[in-house]
Order: sequence, then C-alpha cells, then structure tokens
Amino acid sequence: MTDATLPEAGSSADLIRARKAERIARARKAKTLAVFKHVGLPILTALTVLLAWEIVVDLNGIPKVILPAPSDIAERVWSIRALLYKNAISTTTEAVAGFAIATALGVGLATALVYSSWLRAALYPNVVFFQLIPKIALAPLFIVWLGIGAESRLTFAVFISFFPVVVATITGLSNVPADMLRLCRALTASNWQIFWAVRFPYALPHLFSGMKIAITFAIIGVVVGEFITANKGLGYLIMFASSMAETTTILASISVLCAIGLGLFGLVTLAERVVLKAYGHKAA
Amino acid sequence: MTDPHFIRVKDVAKTYVTGATEVEAVAHVDFDVAEGEFVSILGPSGCGKSTLLMMCAGLEPASEGAIAIGGKPVSGPRREFGLIFQDATLLPWKSALENVLFPIEMMKLDKSAYRARAIGLLEQVGLGDFLAKRPSELSGGMRQRVAICRALIHDPSVLMMDEPFSALDAITRDEMNEALARIWETQRKTGLFVTHSIREAVFLADRVLVMSGRPSTIALDFRVPFARPRRPELVEDPEFARICAMLKRTIEDGYGRAGKTAA
Repeated sequence: MTDATLPEAGSSADLIRARKAERIARARKAKTLAVFKHVGLPILTALTVLLAWEIVVDLNGIPKVILPAPSDIAERVWSIRALLYKNAISTTTEAVAGFAIATALGVGLATALVYSSWLRAALYPNVVFFQLIPKIALAPLFIVWLGIGAESRLTFAVFISFFPVVVATITGLSNVPADMLRLCRALTASNWQIFWAVRFPYALPHLFSGMKIAITFAIIGVVVGEFITANKGLGYLIMFASSMAETTTILASISVLCAIGLGLFGLVTLAERVVLKAYGHKAA
Repeated sequence: MTDPHFIRVKDVAKTYVTGATEVEAVAHVDFDVAEGEFVSILGPSGCGKSTLLMMCAGLEPASEGAIAIGGKPVSGPRREFGLIFQDATLLPWKSALENVLFPIEMMKLDKSAYRARAIGLLEQVGLGDFLAKRPSELSGGMRQRVAICRALIHDPSVLMMDEPFSALDAITRDEMNEALARIWETQRKTGLFVTHSIREAVFLADRVLVMSGRPSTIALDFRVPFARPRRPELVEDPEFARICAMLKRTIEDGYGRAGKTAA
C-alpha cells in the first residue's frame, strides 16, 4: 500500500475546492440532461411523428380527403379561424359550465354522504354502480328529455363529469386522521366547524384529482352532445364536415378541441398546484 | 384547597360486543386522582389503558360504572380537558403558532387574546424561533411539542395524554419527557398519562397505576417517592432503577411472564 492516491498536504485545500467544483458541474450536467429527457424528448417525439406524417402523405400522394398533411390542417385552421372561434367559444363555455356545476353538485352530494350514514347506505353503492354504466350510451335520452339546445348538452356534460368528483371527494373527506377528528370532538367543535376547518382542507388533494378527471369528462360530454344535437360547437362542426367529406376541416376542428382540452386541464392543474401549496399538501 | 378526589373512576368497565361474543377490555377499574396530581397509567400495548383514558375524556362511553371529574359526571367531552395523542395530529397547512391556537378557533374564542400565551408556551418548549414554521418543516419531537402547547393553550384543568411520545425515537423521547416535566411543573394541571414505557411513567408521575391482565384491572397503585422538579439525572439514581425493575416484575406477573401461561 502506498500513499500515491492521497493528496499532498500542501495542495489539499486546492484539491478539495477542485473536487467540489467538479461535483457541482456534474450535478448541473445531470440536471440539464433530465430536463431534456422529460421535456425535450416527448416534444421531439411528437414533432418527429408530425414530420413523418407530412413526408408519408407527400411522398405517396395520399388524397386530402383520406389524410391531409399537418401543414394542410394548420393552413385550414387559419383560413376558417372565424368559424372555429365561434364554435370553440360555444364548446368551451358549455364544458366549463358543466364542469363547474358538476364540481359543486359533486362536493355537495359527497358531503351529504359523508355526514349521513343512512344516505350513504342508500346512495353510495348506486353511485359506484352508475360509474360502471357506459354513460355515453345514455346521451340520446337527454335529447328526448331536453331537446337539442344547450340545456341538453350541459346536462349531459354535468351527468358524466359528476361521478368522479363525488367518489374522489368522499375519499378525501374520509381521509382525515382519526385522532384529528377525536381532537375536534374533544374541543366540542360543531360538525360545520369540523367540515370547513379540517375535513374540506384535508380532502383538497382528492378533490383536485376528481376535478382533473371531471374537466376532461365535461369536454367529452359536450362534444358527444354536439354530435347528436347537431346545433353548434366543435363537435357539430366535425359532424358537419364529415357529411361533406371535408377531412381537413374535421382535423382542424379536432386540433382546436385538443388545444381547448389541454388548456382547461392545464388551468385545473395550475389551480391545484397553487391551492395545495397554500394548504401545505405535498404536490400530487 | 385541592380536591383529593378531583377525578373519581368508580368501578368502570368497558365491553365490546363483536358478533355473538362480548369482549371485556376494561374490568372494574377503581381509582381517584387528586387535583394537581400527575398519574401515569402503565401497561403493555392493547391492555385497554387508552380505552380507559378515552372514557375519562368523555370520548367513549363506559359500559359500566361512573367517572366524575371536578364533582360532575363525565357524559361527553369538556373544554376543561386538554388532549395529546400518539401522533401530533397537527394541521399541515397551519403554522406552529396557528396550530397551537386551533382549539381557541374551534371554541370560537378571541384568538388575539391568546396569541401571547401561545407564543409563551412555544418559547417554553424551545420553539420560539419556529412560530411560523409548518409541521412539515419541524422534526417529530418538535411537532409533538407543538401538540403539548396546543393542549395547554386554553388552560384546561386536566391534561390527558395517550402514549404521546411512543412514536418518537429513544433520544427524542427522553428530551420530550424533560420538556413535559418542565412545562408541567410551571402549569400544574391534573395529569393522566398513558404509556407503555416504565421509565417514562416513573420519571413524570406522582403515582403510577399498573394495568394488567385482559380484561384489565389495576394491579398496583404506586406512589413515586421523588421530589420535584425532576432533573434529567434522576434516571441514573439507583432507587429509580429499583422502582423500574419492581414495576416491570409487576407487569410480567400480571401477564404471566410476558404473555406465557404460568404452568
């Protein structure tokens, strides 16, 4: 054994500093790589697919009625922007309204079920059972009941986005540590106080996961409603373009729909981050 | 004038009915606690000692017998009780100070009137610099110290503690015992302290009640002879060790040598 690998006494301080700088540089490099891997790579994959799509359509001369190239779709989005805008506003408004109503009703019903064991026994198994029904199959019924107007689409959007909120909120409201509730009882707090000061804040992470599902379901609900009410909205535009074999317009409408979905989901996620951080929950 | 029978537990039993069988968790427990006295209830896990405490706190009804505190029968929770549980059970979104003030909020009292007291209590347990920190920024021992302050904020007459330090490591636990002894010596509440740690029971209490058997009864009512204030060095006293060994034997006898049947 020799001391060859150990630093000489005189240079040890420099060596420690050099090693520290090296470690920092390595950590920085690892971070850059991680950002590329988790942000850059998925974007790159998507762009590659779009590019491949463009090339395949170009090289094989696929007719636009079968499959237009991404550049054609982008062009169409621009040329019919006024039409898309008008219908997008209708779809977005109804989806957001449906989501808001579903969230309010869902939290209300969940609260009632958590506080009343009789109501819970009567309703909760049925709520869970209803989750299993392919609810889209019920959409035509709403037209029979409510006509082809906004009421019908809105009600259907509420109907399908309501259940995830109920189930998630019930889980959340029941998620309070038993000793915390015991403490509240020991302090002779009222049910109302316990709900607002303890149960509801504890339920927030669950409520937000329910809301994230609900916002996507609300959009699906509105679009399905638009398909069958054939009155207005992007879903209606898609059906209309389909009847004219306007594949480019279909895909242009779908692109806008994707952007709306992404935007609304992003807003709920942003709200979740802000609220959960304020309430000291670990980011979901 | 202190009341020698401030807490009266008279012939109390607790039975649970599960299906066709009836399980007796606590059987005919009798004891009194004087006002200002600190009593440890000692026994192994699952001996019904926590159930006994919950009955005293009015959070669970007794199946038989009666409990009276301050001359009035306990029929439900009372604001004159302060509770500490095994976990600190702090609200994660509130600061240490706001958590201490939580009982005041629940009792709809004026929070600003209790702010100075809350800060004083937190300073007394060495958390003066952590008032604005959230539970996630505090260690386990610090969180439990916040819980002690929360139990004391509304100046309760009885402090009830259900294995408050059993989730902490041994070193933190000793620290907490010293912190509790210090703060208790300045506040002088009547204390009921449930634990399965013999050392802890002896270090803190004026009296140790050893619970044994299942259904459990009180096997021994032992008066701890050490003066207050209790110093950390007390645990090195040979007399302290002797008492602990004696209590350990009592528990083992009550359980037929750690659960084995005495043949």
